[in-house]
Amino acid sequence: MGIRQGILLALVFVPVLAAIPVLLVPSGRAARLIALIITAFELALSLVPFAVFMQPRPDGWLVRLDLSWIPAFGINFSLGLDGISLLMAALTAFLFMLSVLVSWDAIRDKSPMFHFMLLVMETCVMGVFLSTDLFLFYLFWEVMLVPMFFLIGVWGHGRKVYSAVKFFVYTFTGSLFMLLAIIGLYVIHGSQAGEYTFALEALKSTHVEPATGLWLFAAFFIGFAVKVPVFPIHSWLPDAHTDAPTAGSVILAGLLLKTGAYGLIRFGFPLFPEASAAYIPVILAVGIIGVYYAAWIAYAQEDMKRLVAYSSISHLGFVVLGIAAWNEVSLAGSVLQMVNHGITTGALFIMVGMLDERMHTRDISAFGGLWSKAPGLSAFFLLFIVSSLGLPGLNNFAGELLILVGLFKEYPYLAAAAFAGVVFTLIYLLRLAQKVLFGPPATDAEFHDLSPREAAILVPLAILVVVIGLYPRILIGPIEGPIKALVSPVAAVKTAGATPQAATAPAQTAAADRGGTP
Amino acid sequence: MASPITWILLLPLLGALFNGLLGWMLKRRVVETVACASVAGSSVAACIAFAGMGNGTDVVLYDWLSAGGFSAPFTLRLDAISATMAVMVTGVSFIIHLYSVGYMREDEGFARYFALLNLFVAAMLLLVLAGNLPLMFVGWEGVGFCSFGLIGFWYSDPANATAGRKAFIVTRIGDVAFGVALIWLFYLTGTTDIAAINAAAPALPAATATYLGLLLMFGAAGKSAQLPLTVWLPDAMAGPTPVSALIHAATMVTAGVYLLMRMFPVISVSSDALAVITTVGAVTAFYAATSALGQRDIKRVLAYSTISQIGYMVMAVGAGALSAALFHLVVHAFFKALLFMAAGCIIQALHEEHDIFNMGGLMTRMPTVFWCFLAGALALAAAPGTGGFFSKDEVLAATLGHGGALYTALWALGEVTAFVTAFYIFRVVALVFMGGMKKESAGLPARLPGTMVWSLVPLAVLAIAGGIINLPATWGGSGYLSGLLASQGLAPHAEAGHGWAVQAVSAVVCASGIGAAYYMNLINPALRERLAARYADLNDFLFRAWGLDALYYRLFVTPFGNIADLLWHRVDEGAINRALDGIGDGLAWTGSMMRLSVTGRASTYIMATIVGAAAIVLYFAVNGGV
Repeated sequence: MGIRQGILLALVFVPVLAAIPVLLVPSGRAARLIALIITAFELALSLVPFAVFMQPRPDGWLVRLDLSWIPAFGINFSLGLDGISLLMAALTAFLFMLSVLVSWDAIRDKSPMFHFMLLVMETCVMGVFLSTDLFLFYLFWEVMLVPMFFLIGVWGHGRKVYSAVKFFVYTFTGSLFMLLAIIGLYVIHGSQAGEYTFALEALKSTHVEPATGLWLFAAFFIGFAVKVPVFPIHSWLPDAHTDAPTAGSVILAGLLLKTGAYGLIRFGFPLFPEASAAYIPVILAVGIIGVYYAAWIAYAQEDMKRLVAYSSISHLGFVVLGIAAWNEVSLAGSVLQMVNHGITTGALFIMVGMLDERMHTRDISAFGGLWSKAPGLSAFFLLFIVSSLGLPGLNNFAGELLILVGLFKEYPYLAAAAFAGVVFTLIYLLRLAQKVLFGPPATDAEFHDLSPREAAILVPLAILVVVIGLYPRILIGPIEGPIKALVSPVAAVKTAGATPQAATAPAQTAAADRGGTP
Repeated sequence: MASPITWILLLPLLGALFNGLLGWMLKRRVVETVACASVAGSSVAACIAFAGMGNGTDVVLYDWLSAGGFSAPFTLRLDAISATMAVMVTGVSFIIHLYSVGYMREDEGFARYFALLNLFVAAMLLLVLAGNLPLMFVGWEGVGFCSFGLIGFWYSDPANATAGRKAFIVTRIGDVAFGVALIWLFYLTGTTDIAAINAAAPALPAATATYLGLLLMFGAAGKSAQLPLTVWLPDAMAGPTPVSALIHAATMVTAGVYLLMRMFPVISVSSDALAVITTVGAVTAFYAATSALGQRDIKRVLAYSTISQIGYMVMAVGAGALSAALFHLVVHAFFKALLFMAAGCIIQALHEEHDIFNMGGLMTRMPTVFWCFLAGALALAAAPGTGGFFSKDEVLAATLGHGGALYTALWALGEVTAFVTAFYIFRVVALVFMGGMKKESAGLPARLPGTMVWSLVPLAVLAIAGGIINLPATWGGSGYLSGLLASQGLAPHAEAGHGWAVQAVSAVVCASGIGAAYYMNLINPALRERLAARYADLNDFLFRAWGLDALYYRLFVTPFGNIADLLWHRVDEGAINRALDGIGDGLAWTGSMMRLSVTGRASTYIMATIVGAAAIVLYFAVNGGV
């Protein structure tokens, strides 16, 4: 095992190993300090690959780690790092460090336990993004729910226990479907090949009967879709977000939702190219409905956290559309957008948390005219709002445009309809900006501008928003290779099956008129 | 980096960054100096670049956005159209920055103001110089954002913030059409580069080009406040007056026209699209001119006037007269910025009085402002010899020269609009500057800083003499601008039917409009009162700009909020949530979990899960590992 594999292993296990001393220290101050050091170390570790080993191996991975774990069942401890998982791992490390920072003063109750949960969570999320063995993946995926459950249920507010249980039941139920499908696929592959294994690469070659494939993919899809979440199985999310502590919301929106989309990209589509193609109309439909439906509801929200929560559903609708279109451009857009959403929505949740800490309410109508009281805080808030609404030149636009361009290639009318969704986004976000930042001050209460700690949290987020917007290639570069590898097998199936929607498209017709395809 | 083209864009951007990040801790004079100097430098760079552009130059800075086959590098392109725009934008912006120094002399938000103003100029220049459509889209929405921020600059009044929001939303509705056209064009031509798209355009089927033309027109309608997306611009007057002059008269609102000019080779494949565009322009021009008649707020008169004048530019594009469109765009920028800035002087001098019926007799009290405003008004009314005369005449001549019943009818409508234009602007001149002061309580006009008043003079000169950039042969000119565009193959050298006959018609129309306004408002005001009383409904109809805003409110705004509430309470919290909770409750194990949670012992279940999971893993590890 070389240094590269060591980094991979450390990414996954350092947090959970550090979690034990965190639990044992007597004071909350020591616990949060250890957690900060560990998460900072993780961040540094996750950035190493960007700097030193971006040259992929012949099989496309940057680093692989394969250890035999339970050979009797064909279970391996397999981790793999490619450009996509690298971005996700870096995002994970970044957001966990911010989560520690935002909880610095906010979490006083049972602080060691809180940081223990955070660190266990980090291991699980890292594991999900790095596993290439389905059993291992499922293990991380499932255990991930537990610390999240406690983060919401113990350190949340409002109807926190209801929301925690709801989160658990929804996602756990979804995962059960996925577990069944994993076992099903395992058995089918084993009986065909004579070798029982949970290895992703091996399972990809399984020949699944079309009818069986439809069931298996559906089960996978439900498991992932609950996490994304996809309309209409999203209703755990507004509650969970609203009642979670700020760190919980950041991790939920920034990372847990991404595990769903990541699962579709890494496992769902590649494992079932035929079956996934058959479901594409359904996936497109729930994607576009999610874009509009959640945006529309977001407009009616009075609780800022709930507003941002619905905005997440709407934004993830774009990601789902990009995945469903499954071409190099749309997938690059979706992955980029997963990172962007983590940054921007994470930032918005953090800022709502800051407002909540000051005013002890998240009710939009309790705010107003903030710009005159706290211009620094207001400027950051406005920046993240315009990032979220996809202002060109900032991060979200790059991802959204690529998704729409890729989508247009397959489904031009749908892409046009999705494009129009940005108007809805604009409407609810400008309402938020106006009610909170502008107008006459709602109260005479004193209102502090950013503290140095808060500024230290927001500045890196703001820098990322601008840098990714101006130079998105910094993220697209690493993922182009892996995406190309993902696209070709599925695309081959799709072209063989011929998608009827594309045939009637104006672009295609026009291209045909000119006697050539674009 | 050495290229002056890069500096055109970079200087205002750096100014915005500097003032935006550091302005809060700097002295007012430093912020003002940086803001003005950055635009001045940009203006110099634009002139240098213009002089040395040759047949057009590209500067590729870096690979901005690309994935798969899609690619949009950060490319700046200087050619006759973009160079002319850049020189105009930076020049007018510089004068408006100077004026702002005076106008905002007492405002505490100066750092935010100048940072946004600089950022706006940068975004506008990016829009103008962008070599490909995605990059242009960045500038395109960037100016929309700056406009939002500047309209709502005095944010404490919710009405201002709402006006800013409205502007952003309405223009973005148009942006979607532009965005879709952008993507579609990429798949049709395999490129996002504007020049390459235009080179491939002749091969496009006419039907496709028609749809593309309509999408681009709708996109242009948002930014340029053409029908049906006119409603945001009058409200945008809530912003500081220099903002109105810069964004809502001289530069941003012409972006739509610029887009149509840039993509003309695509649009021109379809004669249907061209006919629609000409019609939209002519009808908007008429609609807005009549609406201007019904306004009492001096800034709203000018706002409707802007919509109307942009209608002429759109009309020119539809008639295929690109050089006429660009000519009118540039001259309009001069005289409309002038009119707004003069209006700003009047408003500040009269202590925030906006109603023209409360003004009067300012000719003797503010002579410099009067003469400058008069110069602008003459240019707007297209008095013979002024810049507006030549540019508007070229538009009308091109429309008439296009031939066909539709174009002839639209030309006639354009002449009627010209009459209304002369009438409404000289109504303002008569009411504001002539006669006696209506509201003596307002007191004597306040003294204005020199930067405000003297900024008007160069624009007044340009408004009057601006015609020389494209003087027709009948006046001894050679059509410099048309020639420049033609030399780069950007537009056919249109020697429009710009003869004495058309000019005579225009002169008569202008003179009768001015005369009628003078008669009704000064010689025989009783007639005006009688007509106003008799046609009160019509007056109200025009005041409400044909009721378009109210209609949109009823059709879109109110239902939007209602549906949002319905979806939230009835569908999401109601149907979906309850159904899924119901399914959950139906399952026994879930039900028991819910009960556990009620008793606060949900954690026991979770612990059981962990223990269970650990047991399973351990089992596998022990048994399997052997």
